[in-house]
Amino acid sequence: MKIIEFLYPEYTNIYGESYNLEYLKRCNKEIQVLETHVGDTPKFIYGQADMVYMGCMTEDKQEKTIELLMPYRNYIINAIQSGIIFVVTGNALEIFGTKIIGDEVMSDDKIDIRGLSIFDYQSVRHMKQSRHNSQYIGNFDGLIMLGHRSQYSFCYGDFDNYFIKIYKGIGMNPDTDREGVHVKNFFGTYSLGPYFIMNPPFTKYILRLLGLKDDLIFEKEIMEAYQYRLEELRRTI
Amino acid sequence: MFRFYVALWASKLMLAFYTLIKQPKTDLPGLLASKICPDFLSYIHKPALTITVTGTNGKTTTSTLINDFLKSAGLTTSFNEWGANMQAGYSVNLLRGVNLFNKPKVDCSILEADELTLDENMPKIKPDYILVTNICKDSLRRNGHPENIYNHIEHTLRILGDKTTAVLNANDPISSELGKGNRRIYFGMADARTNPFVNLGKDIAICPRCGGKITYDYRHYRHIGKFRCENCDFKTPHPDYMAEFTDLNDRTMTISGHEYPLISDTIFNAFNVLAAVAILRELGYRENEISSFLSTQKVTDIRETCVEYNGIEYYTFAAKSQNVSAASTVFEYMAKEPSDKDVVLLMDEVQDKNHPTETLSWLYETDYEFLNDPKIKRVIVGGHMYLNHKLRLLLAGVPEDRIVAVEDEADIPLYVDQYGITKVYVLYETDCVTKALNMRDSIVSYVKEGGRK
Repeated sequence: MKIIEFLYPEYTNIYGESYNLEYLKRCNKEIQVLETHVGDTPKFIYGQADMVYMGCMTEDKQEKTIELLMPYRNYIINAIQSGIIFVVTGNALEIFGTKIIGDEVMSDDKIDIRGLSIFDYQSVRHMKQSRHNSQYIGNFDGLIMLGHRSQYSFCYGDFDNYFIKIYKGIGMNPDTDREGVHVKNFFGTYSLGPYFIMNPPFTKYILRLLGLKDDLIFEKEIMEAYQYRLEELRRTI
Repeated sequence: MFRFYVALWASKLMLAFYTLIKQPKTDLPGLLASKICPDFLSYIHKPALTITVTGTNGKTTTSTLINDFLKSAGLTTSFNEWGANMQAGYSVNLLRGVNLFNKPKVDCSILEADELTLDENMPKIKPDYILVTNICKDSLRRNGHPENIYNHIEHTLRILGDKTTAVLNANDPISSELGKGNRRIYFGMADARTNPFVNLGKDIAICPRCGGKITYDYRHYRHIGKFRCENCDFKTPHPDYMAEFTDLNDRTMTISGHEYPLISDTIFNAFNVLAAVAILRELGYRENEISSFLSTQKVTDIRETCVEYNGIEYYTFAAKSQNVSAASTVFEYMAKEPSDKDVVLLMDEVQDKNHPTETLSWLYETDYEFLNDPKIKRVIVGGHMYLNHKLRLLLAGVPEDRIVAVEDEADIPLYVDQYGITKVYVLYETDCVTKALNMRDSIVSYVKEGGRK
C-alpha cells in the first residue's frame, strides 16, 4: 500500500486540487489517500507517508499554514532529503520560500510574512491589481508539461533548482523561464487545479516514482485531451 | 467641476445618439465620462434612493425584480439592466438619472454591481442599501476564491460605514458575516426540504471566526442553509424577513405570514424573490402590493426560454460556466427535474478563445456527478473543450453510451434524441444567450426537417 498524505485539505483545496488525488487513487488500488487536518500531526514526520500533497489556498490560509508547519520545518527538510515525494501546486509553493510580502485588500498596510525558508525565494502579492492568468508549456526530464496559473503574486529568486524549463508562457515571474522547484522528489509548481489530469505523462512518472505500474484510468481519453490541449496551447500562447 | 460638466454633456450627447439609433443599452457613454472626468461617479448627483445589488449569483434576477416593482409602484428609476455592472455601467445608470444641469430626475437608482470592483466604485456612489445575494465559488480566473470576494465587499461596507444598510442572506455562512459596522437586515429561509446533494467542492470549509467545523441543521443548496460552528457562537443570524414556508412545486413562499408567488421552481430563484421582498418591505411597501406584482413575473428570457415541438419542450437554461456554484446548482436541478431529457452543454466562455485551458480547474470542482442520472438520457457537448468534458463525464461515472462529445458545436443537433424524452435543455454560459437560442432553434429545425434517421 502506498500512502499519500493530503495536508490540510480544509485549507489547501480551493481550486479542485483534491481531484489530483482522487484521480491517482482511481489509477491504482495500491494507493491510499489519508487527510491530515488542521490540528493533526503530519504523518510524514513519522515516515508514514510515501507522498505528501498540498494545493492552493487563500492568502489568509497561507499564513496559517506556515504557522502550522513551522514546528515541523526540520522534519520537512529531512523528508525532502530522504526522497519522500512532495507535490505542491499553486500558491502553496510560496510558503516554502523565505517570505511573502506585498499588499492586502482590506487596508493600505503592507504585509511581511516569514515563510518556512526551505527554499531561497520570496513572493510578492499584488492584491489590488488584476489577477494574473496565463498558461505554460515547458519541459521536465523530457516530458512536455502544461500548466495554468491564476494568481495575485509572483516569486522572485534565482531558482537554480527549477522544476520546469518554460518555452511558452512565463516561469515563477514574468522575467524568468524557470518554473517551480525540483529538489530530490519535491515537485512544486505555480500551476493550479487538477495538475495530474492536465499532465498525464507526469502522472505516469509519479506513479512509477511511487513504485507502481503507470497505467492510467481512462488513459486513452486523458491522453487525447492532453494532446489536443498541447496543440491548442502551441497555437495560442 | 468643469471637467465633470464636460464629461456629463459629452456622455449625455453620446447616450442620446445611441438612443436615437436604438442602441441605448451601451456603456460607451460611461467609458467616455470616466475618461474625461475620472471622478465622474463622485460628482454626479444621486437620486433620493440608491440600491446596490451584488453577490455571486442572483444579482440580475434580484435587481430586475426590485427595479420592476418600483416602476410598477409609480417611481421613476434608472437601472443598468443590460449587464454592465462595473464603473462604466454605473456611470450610464446615473447619467440617465440626471438632467444636463446634474439635477436628479429619477426617484431611485438600482445598481447591479460586480463584487470584485465594489470597493473601487461604491464609496463614490454611497448607496443607501447594499444587498448581497450570496458569496459562492465563482470564476477563479477573475475572482479567485470566495474569501477574496468577501474582503472586497467588507472593505466597501467599512468605507461606507453606518450610512449604508447591508441587506444580507442569513443562510449564507460567508456573506452573513459582512457589515459588522453597518446597519444589517437579514433575510432567511426555513427548511424547504430541497434534499440537496453533497457538493464536490466547498464554498466555505471551516468557521470563519475560529476555524472550527461548520454543521447544518438543514441545507437549501451548496453551503446555504441553517448553520452553526461546533466550537464557537458562529451561527445563522436571526432573519428579519423569514420565509417560514416555501413550496417550490406550487411556487409559493410564505414570509412573515404572507404568501408570495415565486417566479420559478428553483431554490436559487426562491432566494432571489426573498431578497427582493426583504428590501421592498424594508422600504415600506405592503405585502399585497408586492405579491400582486410577483404574480406577474417570470424568470427573465436571458436566463430561461422554452419552445415546444412535437411533444418535446426545448429549453435554453443559463448555467454559467466557470462559476462552479451556479453550474453545479443547475446540474443538480437537471437531476431532480422529473422529466426524461437530453442535456446539451454549451459551457465554454467566449473569453476562453484566449485562455483555452483555463476551464480545466472548474470542471473538477463542478458536480458533473449529478449528470449521472437515469432520467438524463444523453449529455451532448461540443466545442474546443469537448475532450475535457468527455473525460470529466466519464470520471463522474456517466456511462460512455450516454455521452456525445463533438468538436464542432454545429454537429450537436444531429445527436439530440427525438424519442423517449420530453425535454431538451441547452445549458449555456450567460454571455452566450444568442448562441444558446441559435442552438435550440437548430435542434428544432433539424427535427422538423426529419431529424436523425
